[in-house]
Amino acid sequence: MKKSHCLLFMLLLLLGGTAMAQKKVVTGKVLNQATNEPLEGVNILADKQKGGTTTKADGTYSISVDTKTTTLIFSYVGFASQTVVLGDKIKFDIVMVPAATTNDEVVVIGYGTQKKSHLTGAITKYQNDRLEETPSSRLDQALQGKIAGVQIQNISSESGADTKVRVRGVGSIYAGAEPLVVVDGHPVPDGLSFVNMADVASVEVLKDAASAAIYGSRGASGVIIITTKSGKSNRPKFNVKFSVGSKEAYELYPMMTTTEYLNLLYYEAALKAKDPSVAPPTQNSTSTTAERGAYIIEQQLRHGQGTDWQREAIRTANVKNLQMSVSGGSSALRYFFSGGYQNDQGMMYHSEYERFNVRSKIDADLSKKVKFSLNLNPSYIKRERPSVNYIDFVRFQSYLPVYLDEELAAYVRQDPQWADVKAGDFAQARYFNGRVYNGVMPDGSMWVNSTAITPFNTANNTPKSVMETRAIISNDYRVLSSGDLTFNIIPGLDLKITGSAYVSYRTSIDFAKRNSNRAGEVNRGVYNNNLNIDLLNENTLTYKKQIKQHSINLLAGFTAQKTRTRDEQIIGTDFPSDNIQTANNALVIMPPTIDANGSLGGSYTLKNSVGLLSYLGRLTYDFKNRYLLSASIRADGSSMFAPGHKWGYFPSVSAGWVLSQEKFFEKISWISNLKLRGSYGASGNNRILPFAWIDLLYPANYPIGAGNGSSGAGFSPSREILANEGITWERTFQFNGGLDLALFKNAITIGFDIYQSKTDKLLLRQNTLAFSGAPFSWNNIGSLKNNGIELEITTNNIRNKNFKWTTSANIAHNRNEILELGSEPFFLNSGERSEQYINKVGGPLVQFFGYKTDGVWLSQQQITDAGLSTALPNGIALGGVKLVDLNGDKKIDDDDRTELGDPYPDFTWGLTNNFTYRNFDLSFMLQGVQGGSLVNGDINYQETRRYNSRYTDNRWVSPLFQGDGKTVYSTVGFNPMLTDYVIEDASYYALREVIVGYTLPDKLVKKTKLGSLRVYFSAQNLYFHNASGYRGINTEGRFTSAPFYSTPLVDGYQRGSFPIAKTFTFGIDLNF
Amino acid sequence: MKYISPVILLCCIVLSSCKKTIDLYPESNLNTGTYYSNYEEVKAGLNSVYNSLYRPLYREWQFTELRSDNSLQGVAASNNSLNRDLSDLDMFIPATSQNAIYSYWQDAYYSIRDANIMLQKLGVTYDPGAGTINLNAIDIPISEADRKQYAGEALFIRAYQYFNLVRLFGGVFLVHKPISAAESKTINRSSTADIYKIILADLTAASGYLSSVKFAQIAAADKGKANAWAAKTLLGKVYLTLNRKGDAVTVLQDVITNSGFSLQPTFPAVFSITNELNSEILFAVRYKAGGLGLGSSFGNDFGPLNSGSTVINGSGLGWNTPSTDLDTAFIPADARRAVTISIYGTGTAAELYVRKFLTPVTITNDGESDWPVLRYADVLLMMAEAKGFIPESIGYINQVRTRSGLAVLPGTVNTVPLFEKALVDERRLEFAFENHRWYDLLRYNTTMTSITAEQVIKDYFAHEYLVHYSHYTTPVPTIASLQASVTSNKLLLPIPQHEIDTHTQLVVQQNPGY
Repeated sequence: MKKSHCLLFMLLLLLGGTAMAQKKVVTGKVLNQATNEPLEGVNILADKQKGGTTTKADGTYSISVDTKTTTLIFSYVGFASQTVVLGDKIKFDIVMVPAATTNDEVVVIGYGTQKKSHLTGAITKYQNDRLEETPSSRLDQALQGKIAGVQIQNISSESGADTKVRVRGVGSIYAGAEPLVVVDGHPVPDGLSFVNMADVASVEVLKDAASAAIYGSRGASGVIIITTKSGKSNRPKFNVKFSVGSKEAYELYPMMTTTEYLNLLYYEAALKAKDPSVAPPTQNSTSTTAERGAYIIEQQLRHGQGTDWQREAIRTANVKNLQMSVSGGSSALRYFFSGGYQNDQGMMYHSEYERFNVRSKIDADLSKKVKFSLNLNPSYIKRERPSVNYIDFVRFQSYLPVYLDEELAAYVRQDPQWADVKAGDFAQARYFNGRVYNGVMPDGSMWVNSTAITPFNTANNTPKSVMETRAIISNDYRVLSSGDLTFNIIPGLDLKITGSAYVSYRTSIDFAKRNSNRAGEVNRGVYNNNLNIDLLNENTLTYKKQIKQHSINLLAGFTAQKTRTRDEQIIGTDFPSDNIQTANNALVIMPPTIDANGSLGGSYTLKNSVGLLSYLGRLTYDFKNRYLLSASIRADGSSMFAPGHKWGYFPSVSAGWVLSQEKFFEKISWISNLKLRGSYGASGNNRILPFAWIDLLYPANYPIGAGNGSSGAGFSPSREILANEGITWERTFQFNGGLDLALFKNAITIGFDIYQSKTDKLLLRQNTLAFSGAPFSWNNIGSLKNNGIELEITTNNIRNKNFKWTTSANIAHNRNEILELGSEPFFLNSGERSEQYINKVGGPLVQFFGYKTDGVWLSQQQITDAGLSTALPNGIALGGVKLVDLNGDKKIDDDDRTELGDPYPDFTWGLTNNFTYRNFDLSFMLQGVQGGSLVNGDINYQETRRYNSRYTDNRWVSPLFQGDGKTVYSTVGFNPMLTDYVIEDASYYALREVIVGYTLPDKLVKKTKLGSLRVYFSAQNLYFHNASGYRGINTEGRFTSAPFYSTPLVDGYQRGSFPIAKTFTFGIDLNF
Repeated sequence: MKYISPVILLCCIVLSSCKKTIDLYPESNLNTGTYYSNYEEVKAGLNSVYNSLYRPLYREWQFTELRSDNSLQGVAASNNSLNRDLSDLDMFIPATSQNAIYSYWQDAYYSIRDANIMLQKLGVTYDPGAGTINLNAIDIPISEADRKQYAGEALFIRAYQYFNLVRLFGGVFLVHKPISAAESKTINRSSTADIYKIILADLTAASGYLSSVKFAQIAAADKGKANAWAAKTLLGKVYLTLNRKGDAVTVLQDVITNSGFSLQPTFPAVFSITNELNSEILFAVRYKAGGLGLGSSFGNDFGPLNSGSTVINGSGLGWNTPSTDLDTAFIPADARRAVTISIYGTGTAAELYVRKFLTPVTITNDGESDWPVLRYADVLLMMAEAKGFIPESIGYINQVRTRSGLAVLPGTVNTVPLFEKALVDERRLEFAFENHRWYDLLRYNTTMTSITAEQVIKDYFAHEYLVHYSHYTTPVPTIASLQASVTSNKLLLPIPQHEIDTHTQLVVQQNPGY
C-alpha cells in the first residue's frame, strides 16, 4: 500500500509538473445576482499574466492560467468586481452583484455622466430591472413609489391616462409644475407617456436645483432623464417577452337598487311613526310618486330584476404585451433593435390603449477619434376613450333596463308615441314616463293612483346608449430620432454634436351619431389634429484631466431648440348618414368663434413657434476622490419673453466630502461609505402662455360703406389680458443637504436629503384695474417655499447561496407655503360644485375653505339651545349639517368660514422586498401616501346621497332615531359642498405589485438550446387600503377638467372616479 | 484634426441662426408690436375701434333707459340674479359690485384703450395740462389727410366713451394713451372738469381733422365713418351739458347751416333698414345681418319674453320693457308710437316691448338695424334747448313734431315752464329707447329751471306703482321707499367695487351715497 501511495504521489508530481508547464484550465459560469440570468461579456483577468477572457452568452467561461496565477478578477460594467483566490479548485461559479449596492455606479446627470460616488447633488437613479413585468401600461405608473421625492398619482384609472407627477412638491402657481422629461438627451413634453418600458435602461431624477440647473429655465419642477438600452459588442442576443393578463375593478360604488332604496324609505317611515316628536309620516312624505312609480316598474315590469349600471360600464379587461429585441455588435459597431406591441383594454367599455413601437439604436466607432450614434424611435398609440363619464352610470337608477325585451317593448308600445319601439332597442327613461302605475309597496300596502307618473324626468338617453353611439378615438404618431457625432480632438477633449427631432402628430375624432344624447339631436363630428415638431441641436465640449490626485471635468455647451405646433379643429354637424363620418359630408361646418373669455371654438387652425437658445457650462473637480466640487451655469434665452427680458441665468454650486476615505475613518470598518453633500442652485420655469408679453390682435370687424355696408376687416387687442412686456423667468433657489451612507460592506445603504427651496418672481395672472383696458395681466410677483426630507434605504438582509432577501424603502415629506401673492393676502377660487379653495399667504398653496361642521342637527331642542341665527340658505335645519359658529357671535355667516385642510400628503412612501430562493423569486411592493385630504364631490349629487349606501347607512331620520349623529339625511339642510362634510382623508396604502418568477435551471434550458427562460406571474393592487372616513372608491382619483381644475390654484377634488384596477398577468421572458 | 473645419463651419451656421430662434412673434395672431405699419393696417385697426362700440352699447340701456321713466324690469317678482340686478338699477339701489356696471365700465375702457392704441400709432398725444391734442412725427407711411381723418375718428370715439362715462360715473380715471398694468396703479380718479377737458379737446380736434363735406357729397365708401358734423353735434351736446349754451348754439348752427343733413320726411324712414345712414343720421353704431357676427342683438334682447318665434326668430328676452307711463304719453296721432313700442299678447298676459330696433332676423341676435347715436332731430331740439323760450325754438320743435303727423305746438305754450315741458316731452317721445332719456334728465338739472331729474323719476314711481312696483315681493316697496332712493347722489352710478379693491396702492374715493 505504501508503495502504491508513493507511486501515486510521484505520478501526481509529474502531472503537476506538466500542468505547470501546460497551464491549467479554470471554468465556470457567471450569473447576474439581480436576475439570476447568465451574464455575457464579463471580463476575466488572471493576475501575473497577460490576457484574459470574457464570458459567453450562457455565462460560461474558460480560462487557462499558469501556476503563478493566484487570483482571478471578474469585472463587468455596472457590477461590483470580484476577486477569487485560486487554490486547487478549477471550477468557480460567480454571482455578480449589480453596482446598485456599490458606489461605482454611473449616473446620468444631464449632458454627461458621473460616478455615483462623486455625486454632490440630489439625484436618484432607478436602474431598470424588470420594470416591464409590472402590469402597468405606462412608464410613469410603473415608477410609482420607487423614487423618494417623486410623487406619482394615478388620477384616473382609464387605460393610458396621464398621471400627475410632482418632484418635491409644487414650485409654481400658474406655470406648469410637471417635471421636465428628457429622453436620451431630448426634452420631450410627453416622454413618460410614450417611452416603452422594456426599452428603458435607467431613469434618473434630478431633484435638487443644483442638479437641475444644467437644464436652466425648465428645471424648477425637477428633471426626469430616461436613458434607453444600447447594444454591446456581443454576438446577437435575442429577447422575447410576452405577457397576458386581465384587469378588473377593485371595488364598485355600493349603490342601492330602486327596490332597496324604497325599502329603506319605508323602513325609515316606520321609524318616524314611532317618534312622537314628529308628525307620523304619510305616504307622500316619505317617497315621491316618481320613486314609487320606479319601484313598481322594477317590481312588476322587470320582476324585481334591477340593472346594475356600473356593471354595464365595467368589464374584465384583457391586457397583452409583446416585446422583442435583438442587440449585439462588434467592437466598432453596436446595435439595439426592439419592437413592441401592447394592448391594454380599459375596464370601461370603449376604452382601449394600443401601442406599437420600434426602436433602433446604433453606436459606431467610425475611427479611433470619431464616434457616431443613431437613434430612431417611431411609435403609434391608438386610444379609445369612453364617451360617458363613469359617474353617469353610478348615478343611474336600476329600474331602467339597458335593452327592451319583448315584454317591455310591448308595454312601451301601448303608448302610441312609442309605436315604433322594438325589442332589442335601448330602453330610455322617456318610454316609461307619463304612465299610470299602481301596486304593492314595500310595507305591503296597496298604492292606488290614477294620475300619470314620470319616474325619471329627463330627455337624455341612458349612459349605455350614449356610450354605444358616440366614439372618441385618438391616434398618436410619434418619432423621436437623433444622431450624434463625437470627435476626440486631443486626449481628454471631446466635441459632441447632436441633432435630434421629435415629431408628434395626434389626430382624434369624436363622433356622436344622430340621437346619441337625446332624441332629435343631429350627429356631430369634432376633428382635431395637432402637429408638434421639436428640433434640437446640442453642441458640447468636454474635457477630462487627471493630474495626480486632482481630477477635473469640464463641460461647455451651446444648444438651440425650436418647437413648432399646429392645431386644427373642424366641427361638422348634420351628416346625412351616421355611417359616413368624414367632415366632407357634414351639412354644416361650424365657423370659428371666440367666447367672452377669449377662448377659441368652432373650426379653426392655429400655429405657433417657440424657441430656446442656451449656453451651458459645468466644472467638476475632485481631490483624492475625497473632496468633491461641482459648479454649473446655464443661460437660457426664450422667445416667450420680450426683447430685453429673454435671457435668464441659472447658476449652481455643490460640494461633497467623502469622510469614509479619511484616515481617521479607517478604524471604523463597519462603515463602508460615508459622504456629506451640499448644494445650492437656481432653476427656472417658463411654462406660461407664449406671447403674454405682447398684445395679440383678434378679428374685430365693422361694416363700412353705403347701404347696409360691407364688412371691413378689423383687428383689436385681447379683452382679457393686458400684455406685460416686463415679464420674465420664474426662478427657484434651492438648498440641498445630503448624506450617503453604506454600512457593513454595503449590506445597508442609506441616502438622506433635506432641502429648502424658494421660488420667486412667480408668474401670476393678476387682477388689473379694468380702466387700463383689460381685467388681467401676467406679472412676476409672488413667492413660494418648499421644504422637505427624503430617505432611501436598501438592505441586503440575507445573502447566501440559495436564498437572498433585499429590501429597499423610501419615504419623503414635503411642505409648501405661499410667501407672497403680489400684495394680495389670498386668492379665493371656486370649483365646479361651488366648493371653495383658498390660496393664502402663510399657508400651503391650496387649502380647502368653508364651514366646519359638528355632526348634524339632531333635534329642535338642540337648535333652540344653540340660539344661532343665520341668513344662509337652509343654514340651520334638522337632519342637516350642523355648522360651527367659529367666531362665537351666535350668527352663522361668511365670517365663520375657515381653512379645512389641504391636498398635500405629509409623507409618501414605497417599500419593495425581493426574495430569491434557488430559481424562484418573489418581489412585492407596498406604496402609500399618508396625510392630505380631498374634496369628495360625489356628495353633491342627489343620486349619491339617495342611492349610495355609504351616505345613507346610519343616517339621521328623526330626533328619536339619530343614526350615528354624523350622517346627513339625504338632501336636507345646508349645502355640504361648502363645508368640511365633503373633506375626507386622502391617505392610503396599497400592495401595488407582486411578482413571482421562476427561471428555468440551466440543465433544462440547455436541452431546449435557449439562453434563458423565465416565467412569472404579476399582480397589481391586490390590496388597497383607504383611510377611514373616505366614502369613495379611488383615493387617488382626481377630476381635472377645465375650466375649474386646469389651474394649480385648485387641487384635490374628485368625483365619480373610476374604480381602481386590479390586474393579473402571466409572462414569459426568453433569451437566446 | 481634419474634422475641425467642418465642425467650425457647422457651429457658425447654427450660431448665425440663433437670434432667429428666439426672436419670434405669434403666427396665428397679429400683434400690436408689428401691426399698424401702413395705411391698410391702420384702417383695419380703426375698424376695430368702431367694433369696440358694440360692447358698451349692449348694456348702456340699463343705465339710460331702465333707470329713467322709459322702461322697467318686466318680471317684477323674478328671483333670477340678472333680473334682480336690473331691478336694483331701475330702483336706484344697485350694489357697488354689480356685474353689469363693472362690465359696462370694462367695455367702455376697452374701447378707450383701443382708440388710444390707434392714436399712439398715429402720433396723437393729449396734453392734460393745456387740454390740447398734438400731432407728432410718425413712421407710418400715410398721407397727412388720411392720418388726420383716422385720428379724428379715434378721437371722436374716445370722446364719446368719456362723455358717457362722465355722465354715468362722474370724475372717472383719465387714460389718454396705452398704459401697462403697473402704470394703471399710479392713476387715481380725475375731476369731472378734467374729464370734460379731454372730451372738449378730442371733439374740437376731431371737428378740425375730420372730413366736413356735405351729406350729399359723402363718398359711398366713407358712409358710416365719423365726420366733422358728427363731432360738432356731439360737441354741441357737451357744451349744452356744461350749460355753455352760447358755444352750443355756435356749433349746432354750423351743423344746421353747412352739413347738408336734414330730417327724413317720415319717422319710420329714419329707422328703415333699407334706408340706412339717411340724411338724418349724423352718427350710428352700425350692425350688419348675414351671419357675419356683426348683427344686432337688440331685437332679441328687447323682443317680448316667451314669444317664441312669433315676433322675432329665436324669441325675445323682454329686456327694457316700456313703462305704461311712456306708452300713455304718446297721443294716438303720433306716428312715433308704432315705430317705438308694440304689444304682445292680450289681457293680463299683454306685454309691452320695444319695437324700434326689431327687424326680422334669420339667425338669433343677427339684426340689421343700426343704432342711431346722433340724429338731425337731436340737433334741432338741442338748438331749441340752447336758445330757450323764444319763437325760433318753438319752430325747431314744430319741425320735429309735424314730421310725425302732429300739430304744431299750441299757443298755450306761453311760459318758460310750459315751453320746457313741451321740449322735454318732445325729446322723450322722439328719442325713446335711443339711450337719451337719462342723460337728458341729468342735463335738464342745469339747463332748465322747472325740471329736475329727481322729480321726474319720483312722479314716475308714483304713476307706475300700481301697475308695476307693487308687484315686487319680499318686501313690497312702497311709493315712499322708492322715491326715497332717488337722491341726488344716486344720479351717479357707483365706481365698480373691483376697481376700488384692485387699486392696492391708492385710495379710490367711491361716489357719495354708495
